[in-house]
Amino acid sequence: MKTIISITDLEKFYSTDEVRTIALNKLSFKVNEGEFVAIMGPSGCGKSTLLNILGLLDDPDGGSFIFNDIEVSDFNERKRANLRKHNIGFVFQSFNLIDELTVYENVELPLIYTGVKPDERKKRVEEVLEKMQIMHRRKHFPQQLSGGQQQRVAVARAVVNNPKLILADEPTGNLDSSNGNEVMDLLTELNEAGTTIIMVTHSEHDAKYSHRIIRMLDGQKVTENVLV
Amino acid sequence: MFKNYFKIALRNLQKNRLYASINIFGLAIGLASCMLIGLYIVNELSYDKFNEKANRIVRATMEYKLADEVNFAATTGTKVGPEFARTFPRIEEYVRTFISSSNVKYDNKLFNEDRILFADPPFFKMFSFNLLQGNAESVLDAPNKIVLTQSMARKYFGDENPINKTITVIGKEMIVSGICEDSPKNSQIKFDFVTQFLNLGNNVKEEQWWTANWITYFLLNNDENINQLEQQINAYMQTDAIRSQVGSVGESYLNYHLQPLLDVHLKSDLAGFEPNGNMTYIYIFIIISLLILLIASANYTNLATAQSASRSGEIGMRKVMGASKRQVFLQFISESTTITFIAAGLALFVSVLVIPYFNTITGKEFTRLELLQPIPITLLFLFCIIVSFLAGLYPALVLSGAEIMGVLKKGFRCTGGNGLLKKSLIVGQFAISVFLIIYTMVILQQMDFIQNKNLGYNKDHVVVLPIGGDMQNNFEAFKDGLKLVSGVQSVTASYETPEFVEWGDGVNVVDENGEHNISINAMPIDLDFINTLGMEMASGRDFIQSDFALMDTTNNRANYQQPYLINETLAKQIGWTPDEAIGRIISNRALGPVVGVVKDFNFSSLHEPVGPLLMFLGRDFSRNYMVRISNSDVQGTLGRLESFWNERTNGRPFNYHFLDEDYNALYQAEQRSAILFSVAAGLAVILACLGLFGLAAFTTVQRTKEIGIRKTLGANLSNIMLLISKNFLVLVTVAIIIASPLAFWAAKKWLQNFTYRIEPEWYVFIIAAIVTLFITFLTVGYHSIRAAMANPTKSLRTE
Repeated sequence: MKTIISITDLEKFYSTDEVRTIALNKLSFKVNEGEFVAIMGPSGCGKSTLLNILGLLDDPDGGSFIFNDIEVSDFNERKRANLRKHNIGFVFQSFNLIDELTVYENVELPLIYTGVKPDERKKRVEEVLEKMQIMHRRKHFPQQLSGGQQQRVAVARAVVNNPKLILADEPTGNLDSSNGNEVMDLLTELNEAGTTIIMVTHSEHDAKYSHRIIRMLDGQKVTENVLV
Repeated sequence: MFKNYFKIALRNLQKNRLYASINIFGLAIGLASCMLIGLYIVNELSYDKFNEKANRIVRATMEYKLADEVNFAATTGTKVGPEFARTFPRIEEYVRTFISSSNVKYDNKLFNEDRILFADPPFFKMFSFNLLQGNAESVLDAPNKIVLTQSMARKYFGDENPINKTITVIGKEMIVSGICEDSPKNSQIKFDFVTQFLNLGNNVKEEQWWTANWITYFLLNNDENINQLEQQINAYMQTDAIRSQVGSVGESYLNYHLQPLLDVHLKSDLAGFEPNGNMTYIYIFIIISLLILLIASANYTNLATAQSASRSGEIGMRKVMGASKRQVFLQFISESTTITFIAAGLALFVSVLVIPYFNTITGKEFTRLELLQPIPITLLFLFCIIVSFLAGLYPALVLSGAEIMGVLKKGFRCTGGNGLLKKSLIVGQFAISVFLIIYTMVILQQMDFIQNKNLGYNKDHVVVLPIGGDMQNNFEAFKDGLKLVSGVQSVTASYETPEFVEWGDGVNVVDENGEHNISINAMPIDLDFINTLGMEMASGRDFIQSDFALMDTTNNRANYQQPYLINETLAKQIGWTPDEAIGRIISNRALGPVVGVVKDFNFSSLHEPVGPLLMFLGRDFSRNYMVRISNSDVQGTLGRLESFWNERTNGRPFNYHFLDEDYNALYQAEQRSAILFSVAAGLAVILACLGLFGLAAFTTVQRTKEIGIRKTLGANLSNIMLLISKNFLVLVTVAIIIASPLAFWAAKKWLQNFTYRIEPEWYVFIIAAIVTLFITFLTVGYHSIRAAMANPTKSLRTE
């Protein structure tokens, strides 16, 4: 199976005036296409930092990061943005929907930024809203939806561009258990359809949906369990 | 993509109505001022450009030296036109002009008209006033021909065709030979009727270098090397033959300058038929409108930047989904553009609404329709684009440049460097406001000083009645009749009214110290002048009836003596004390004794010091009666004067004016700047406070949690108010410190235009500072009180 992500000796530091904190300490692992990987660890272990680097939102301070056969660790913001918008979808704990846009418009936004034509946009947005069962809510604003619904919109937005990779940062953190399970089911479905998923979570329950769990501590990988 | 930006922009406006209204209102005011002022400037710059031959037309102005003094005048003698046209082949045509008033009668319609233009026949060939009927070559080719403007044709003839009809003007029957369009508003020559220059009477038929009352224009064969022609004219004027014609001896000379027609309105110091525009005035206008726009833009920048915290999530997500820096930048620029264009719509509406007031300030006559023409609309559009970038640039740059990680994790706060910008903008806004407040206060104080200054005469309750037609023949009887009207206290007459004496002259004195030739202003007056105007004598007496006996015209004037009054300054210049002057013989029109010395009074604008003045008994020169009336029942007295007038003048219109109005008219430009600055200062303060109001609202929201905690820990109302207001008050204080010396300097500079002026008082600065701080405190106080009164548990829960 093809490797989609390969990181080697990845490093990231945060510096304030007096203290230099190591967020990632020579971290290495690989993720294959179609895998569902959960990353776990206590707060401050570097999970989110890792996710941001994998999501091309942030750049590493050292080491190598090969995404889809391309070395991206030295990419500038522009190149990263370009690669990101075509290949990666994000789901956040706090949904991060844009309040001023309706459900429909929120989901449409990534397609606008990737330059998809209006007809095609309409078709794809409606398709994905149907699939997420929130078509009837398409004219509502985020504040008018429940948390579960908001996260479904966020997932719809993450997948509307058919990304190769979905990065989920505690996707069920703000949801009750039934809504949480629904979102996990959604992610599983997407994974079964071929999308690679990397999910950061505190929840052992959610982690069980994945194929492999990477546990981290102090910016380093501690263990790696394969579940299936 | 842009559709999406605008959608977001509109929804944001709806969501933040307070900020949106502050921004839209402020920008609308700023844009409206810019648009109106743009209109004004376009009009000023377009002066006389409608003349197709404008580049080849010049105005001749006079420079002469007499009695050690060099003088300049826009008016010239009757000889200048014909003599130069004969002498210099480059001059194709000359036109001498004069504007006067006269009664105009057609059928049973009789009006007094103020704009009758007397001009040499090539007038319509030289200038491009559009003749609707009649031929430019022939409309003025006979003395009995007259051209009417469209409005006058309508006024006197209604629907009739006026051509070849007879109309009575200046007491003569004239034939209407042409109709022209009303003179454009941007023309230095504005008229209602045009007839031949020679119709002014016998005194203009002879060619004279002096008696310079006429404005002369030349049409040259090309527009090159006007200087060279001017030099040739200078050389010609200095030839012995001409010098002896002119009567120049020794150092004295008479010379002419050629001013391009297009330079007259804005670049000449010499006014022609109307007061000239002034480039300084234009610059002041531009600066003020830009300052107001700047304040409004600063409000936008500040409020948009302050709101960035609440926009951080959105920006972060847009970037996560692949929005480039450029796209986010464009989005925020689109927002400022949306707001600016909404403001522009409102600005257009506001402009249409305030145009009458604007006309009062500028003395122009813009119509509402003129605002909707392509030029002002284009101006507005241009300003919109500029403001969209000016105001939106910083927030757009900051927000689009925000690090994506920072935005997603902590939310985005403008701190550090950005706070400095916010502070600088507030300081800037208030510095402008304080500057304008102080400057305006000084202008207003000076205007008050001008109006209340002791001028050396009493300008209040003096009615000025113009003498015309055959009234001169019944001068005394008419004057005596006026004295009998109930409410009239005394009556005199003079050539000019005392607030602005223009008659230039010279006086020759021979005494024990030798011979003096002194340049003076002269004023022919009638009896009772000193008394009627409430002047004071330094020595001697006013003219009396028996003085007429001195002016003995029998025996070929062999014993003619002209009695004189002089002012203190003249006495001093000759070297006499007021008492010494009495009985001395001086010579102006003729030899004669000084019968009195008048205490100095201001007979020209307060921009100038009081100069030497000579008054001679000259009833025949009188152009105005001046009637002092009692200050009770002014309307009743005016009514009785009018009935008397109608009874005695055979239908002459009763056009009176008050002396103090004439006086105030001298300071029209200053009055206008006073109004302009008051309005500008008011707007600046309102806009700056609006911005502050918005920011205070924002700060309070941002600090809700902090305020909650402080209250929980025991802070009281005044602690909280101080907490919120302190920063703003400090900034405004800094603004006051910056603006005060600048305003002091600018006000000093403005005051230097006046010989008679106030000194900027220290308390003006204190008042400006207190007022500004107080307004700031009120503005910010509203929010701080609200924040301080709120239940702390509630504010803590919201976080």
